[in-house]
Amino acid sequence: MSDTKDVTTTPQADSGSDAAGVPIVLEQVSKRYPSAKSAAVDEISMEIPAGEIVILVGPSGCGKTTTMRMINRLIEPTSGKIRIDGEDVLSLDDVKLRRKIGYVIQQIGLFPHLSITQNVSLVPRMLKWDKRRINDRVDEMLMLVGLEPSEFRDRYPRQLSGGQQQRVGVARALAADPPVMLMDEPFGAVDPINRARLQDEFLSVQEKLRKTIVFVTHDFDEAIKMGDRIAVLDQGAKIAQYAAPEEILSGPANDFVEGFVGQGATLKRLQLERLETLDLRPVSAADKTTSRVPINATLHGVLDEMIATAQESLVVVKDDKPIGSVSLDDVLARVRELRAEAEAKEGA
Amino acid sequence: MGGSDGDVQLAFGDGLPFREWVEAYQDDLIFYTRQHALLSLYCVLAAAVIAVVLAMLVYRSERLSGLAINSVSVGFTLPSIALFGILIPFLGRNIATVFPVVVLYSLLPALRNAIVGLQSVDPAMLDAARGMGMSRFRMLWQIELPLAWPVILAGLRVSAQLAVGIVAIGAIVYDVGLGQYAFSALANLGSANTANEALACVLFVAAIGIAFDLAFVLVRRFTTPRGIRV
Repeated sequence: MSDTKDVTTTPQADSGSDAAGVPIVLEQVSKRYPSAKSAAVDEISMEIPAGEIVILVGPSGCGKTTTMRMINRLIEPTSGKIRIDGEDVLSLDDVKLRRKIGYVIQQIGLFPHLSITQNVSLVPRMLKWDKRRINDRVDEMLMLVGLEPSEFRDRYPRQLSGGQQQRVGVARALAADPPVMLMDEPFGAVDPINRARLQDEFLSVQEKLRKTIVFVTHDFDEAIKMGDRIAVLDQGAKIAQYAAPEEILSGPANDFVEGFVGQGATLKRLQLERLETLDLRPVSAADKTTSRVPINATLHGVLDEMIATAQESLVVVKDDKPIGSVSLDDVLARVRELRAEAEAKEGA
Repeated sequence: MGGSDGDVQLAFGDGLPFREWVEAYQDDLIFYTRQHALLSLYCVLAAAVIAVVLAMLVYRSERLSGLAINSVSVGFTLPSIALFGILIPFLGRNIATVFPVVVLYSLLPALRNAIVGLQSVDPAMLDAARGMGMSRFRMLWQIELPLAWPVILAGLRVSAQLAVGIVAIGAIVYDVGLGQYAFSALANLGSANTANEALACVLFVAAIGIAFDLAFVLVRRFTTPRGIRV
């Protein structure tokens, strides 16, 4: 993969030269512990398409983390096959395998005795990249996650805030340009405001990089936000439903999934709809005084703003310039459309 | 050394005042102090290597670490003088008897701290290291040992103090170090200069101990990675 890549001359993140994701296939993968009666993971089979974020979500103890950790063989499967880009991971050297898979955990696990540069460059150094390439890569990665290299390169982890540390964690996982990333509740330890920011930033990074990402969380709202697909797992990592977030919200496969989705599925559904999908009305002179929403807001956010300001119409802005307006009727019309779509799908 | 108490006169001796005695035996004192310090240093170095290697072998096993740490506690209860007594019939009255006993005592705090230090590395750190593709050896060398180092060093600091003390007792076996003054004083109780001998032993052994302690402060300062320095 990345070994053929030349030194990037620009320090900017260059999506063209980074390795895009590869598909992962699990075939009847099981993990049994000798002491336990039932399997921790019971013959899970799933396909994870290249370049997508697949969320494993479920109650604690359902085997989601175990499933993820079997992909880079931090846990050895008892039976079954795991293929990354067609290659059986069980046939590879486990240490070398892990250097090609990014790994981010909730506790971050930055090494406190190593500087940020040393932390980020760990895997490239193990892969024996040359010095200049490593230095460029560290700067590129720090910039990618929104940390100014000249300011952060030589700091130590304890001199960083929790959010900054988690950014470094992501930069470190991406440093050797792995096609696959495993993320275990990566934003679980940061406060809600920073979490939302980190999630947004990560999504925009992923938009450029298109890695294949297996993302474990117990938070269904995070699953909806981050996932291209969501696998809802029950005990023994049994897949209760594996589908796009919209589909799970509008048509939960069974009571377990419905219970997990929780209250307010319709509102959550609106978190997935962007304002961009609506036809905007022209801005009228009367709108000048009303509140503003950015064009990339979700319908959930639009509704929230309308309720918060008790206004039925909002000005839509792009780069702080008004480009149109949206009314409550527009949003409700979209909700009716979505419902019709969902019913049509169920009928089919 | 002892410059201000030139008029010290203890009841059971009628030898020279301490300062004059020190001046008279200056060469001997320097020689034995150096010998004492070097022997202690070698013992601590040997103990450090053995402790870290042993700790690396046992720290992952609950049972073996427990065994090692319990042995350490038992070891502390053994009087060193008895241990010397046991070894003399086998190894004779020579340096080969002194060395292993001092190393053994130095080993006790060093081993205990090395095990505890390695075990106290945050498991999340190890998970991250393993997940990034570090081999066992690399993890130990680049992550676990550096993180455990301050704890290991604290153990060695205690080891050094113990070594300096036990080397003094070692003089009962073989003519080495400052302990000879103490034993000579005990053997000739009441004769001239016994007080001077006893005082010299105490003062110079203490000086070596303090010098070692200061050296450790420097070693800690220069060998602790910047990110975990307190």
